[in-house]
Amino acid sequence: MTVNSAEEANQDVAYSKALKELIYQLADDDFLISFRGSEWLGLAPHIEEDVAFSSITQNTMGHAFMFYQLLEDLGEGEIDLLAHERHPDVRRNGIYLEKRNGEGNYLEEPYYDWALTVVRHFLYETFKKVKLEAITKSSYKPLANIAGKVLMEQPYHLAHWRIWMNQLLNSTEEARDRIEARLNEAWEEFGDVLEFGFQATEMEHFDLIIGEEELKERWMDEVAKTIPNLPSEPLGKKFGSGREGQHTEDLDQALATLSEVYLSDKEAIW
Amino acid sequence: MSNTNESNFYQEYEVFSKKSTKSPVQHQFSLLAPNEEMALSMAVENFMRREDVLDVWVVKRSDVRRMTSEERAQWTKRLDNKDYRKTKGYGYLRQKWKEKEQGMLDEKEILSWKEVKK
Amino acid sequence: MYNYIEYGSSEISNDNIDDQEKYEQFMARIEVGEKIEPDDWMPEDYRQGLIKLISMHGISEIMGALPEKEWTPKAPTMKRKLGIMAKVQDEMGHGQLLLRVAEDLMQPYGKDRGDIMEDLLSGDLKFHNVFHMPTKTWADAGMVGWLVDGAAIISQTNMLDASYGPYQRALQRICQEEVFHAQHGEAIIMALAEGTDYQREILQESLNRWWPSLLMFFGPASADTTGSSKQNIMIKYKIRKSSNEELRQAFLDKYLPRVFSLGLTVPDETVHYDEAQEQWIYQQPDWNEFKQIIKNKGPRSKERLRLREIAYENNRWVRQALAKDQVMT
Repeated sequence: MTVNSAEEANQDVAYSKALKELIYQLADDDFLISFRGSEWLGLAPHIEEDVAFSSITQNTMGHAFMFYQLLEDLGEGEIDLLAHERHPDVRRNGIYLEKRNGEGNYLEEPYYDWALTVVRHFLYETFKKVKLEAITKSSYKPLANIAGKVLMEQPYHLAHWRIWMNQLLNSTEEARDRIEARLNEAWEEFGDVLEFGFQATEMEHFDLIIGEEELKERWMDEVAKTIPNLPSEPLGKKFGSGREGQHTEDLDQALATLSEVYLSDKEAIW
Repeated sequence: MSNTNESNFYQEYEVFSKKSTKSPVQHQFSLLAPNEEMALSMAVENFMRREDVLDVWVVKRSDVRRMTSEERAQWTKRLDNKDYRKTKGYGYLRQKWKEKEQGMLDEKEILSWKEVKK
Repeated sequence: MYNYIEYGSSEISNDNIDDQEKYEQFMARIEVGEKIEPDDWMPEDYRQGLIKLISMHGISEIMGALPEKEWTPKAPTMKRKLGIMAKVQDEMGHGQLLLRVAEDLMQPYGKDRGDIMEDLLSGDLKFHNVFHMPTKTWADAGMVGWLVDGAAIISQTNMLDASYGPYQRALQRICQEEVFHAQHGEAIIMALAEGTDYQREILQESLNRWWPSLLMFFGPASADTTGSSKQNIMIKYKIRKSSNEELRQAFLDKYLPRVFSLGLTVPDETVHYDEAQEQWIYQQPDWNEFKQIIKNKGPRSKERLRLREIAYENNRWVRQALAKDQVMT
């Protein structure tokens, strides 16, 4: 099965529903994690890392932009509206990705945790790689093409966070403890990131992506290459499923911040 | 808390990069990193965010033997008497060949010989 | 992007030029436009003047990232979010370039980046007056990008022929990126200037607030104003070419006509170009306030330093972890 355009996709209501659901996940994941990255700007452990990290954040927000563009093409509304105005209930990002960077906020007393950032980015970029690789074979060609493009610059991201992961796991006891604590926490929360939500069956049925279980296995195999001793408990989704529109206060904070100016004058062109 | 001294975190690395297959490796700048893996991972985005890059080298500064100030001052001056090494010393041939109604095989001409007849 | 013009309080002097011959050679080299490299002989006041200038310039870039960063996650569209991220990232990148230059100059004293950060946090190392000011609206993000960067471009391009090689090369890179910054700032401003009443309102309000800081940007015209000025030594040693006032006039020349062309005003009714004197006439900003600001007693000095302090202290464990001699990779 091959679908070459938005018009074609929209002719089949069931197909386009599953397709949009999948793209919202991709777009919202990238948007939220890159928003968290933008809060870090200027506060990284040292200057060179700040610059490198910001490039990764910009790339990732650029990817979100391309996914929102696909949604715009499918008639969902224009990009900035999709990014800035949607209610939390219809946001589809995994809950772990909306999590605050640590205590405080970026304007005041930002006790951000680099261990959380390293663990989160490593797990997420690994996930993004396997998910996008699966999507390069998607029945919806415009999406498969974007996935291929994103995969061109994404290996650098994964390599970067893999280095951090490796080095912090193999240095001081304190660093290892901090990383392991964040890993255990991630294990309780990451579950929904790996899910496809309400349309999981349809997504697979329409060849939009491989099945959930297979993706999860691929992800686990990839993660285990870098972290030999993974937490033994099964993955949890402590706060519910972002894929089904469940979210935490952290998302409210993120949305209030990122849309503050956008909403200050909705007539305005910025 | 660890008692490790932080200053080891700030090792100096020189960064070099190559822009295209035809271009030589060029020095870009230096950065501070705790080790070469980190240095490499940060190098591209620190110095080549807006340009093409095909390859990057990072070299620990202490591994570079560079000229000292005195060496630069003393070893880099040459007498200007080495025309025999350069085409400049053979420029008179142009006139000679011209007399024989032949063109000069100069740099421009020779470097244009990428293809010959099959 | 932000060059800090010298106005420190202590004069550095060449007490013991033990080697007059070396000094004369040095001066002869910079007279003919040769570049001085870190391991070349240099007069002590040259080295110390450069350390002060460049570490202040570098740390001002790092501190200068903070006011714009306040609006980075809030930028109103995805494209603006991306643009301002790239811009603030560049500021950090400029800080990186400049601090590397300063660090190499400080090496003979056994100091490194850690010391620069400590000096900033202790108040020994100052940062540029504009970055002690608050940002209140999105228009401020545009104002910093357009006019504060504009002022920075004026002062930095003035040093593109600086006699110190590493600084000159860093400035070359920086000024090339400033072209993007200038256009980034103009784009934000243009959208506001051609926008809704609300947008024009926040734009004018922002300019009113930033005006005194912009005048102060270049530092006092002479030592008489604030007690001391080290602009002369920087000119003598061919680091910069023009005086603070000449730079301020150049800024007004380039930017005021643009300000007016957007229908904006500045909060000084006396501002005009005097044809006879061939210069802009303006009301002096409050130089006493300026003195307070650069002593870290500006409206946002404490808060910005606090952010830097938290970032530094809170991540110390990361630097300690990777400072271990053997990190497995």
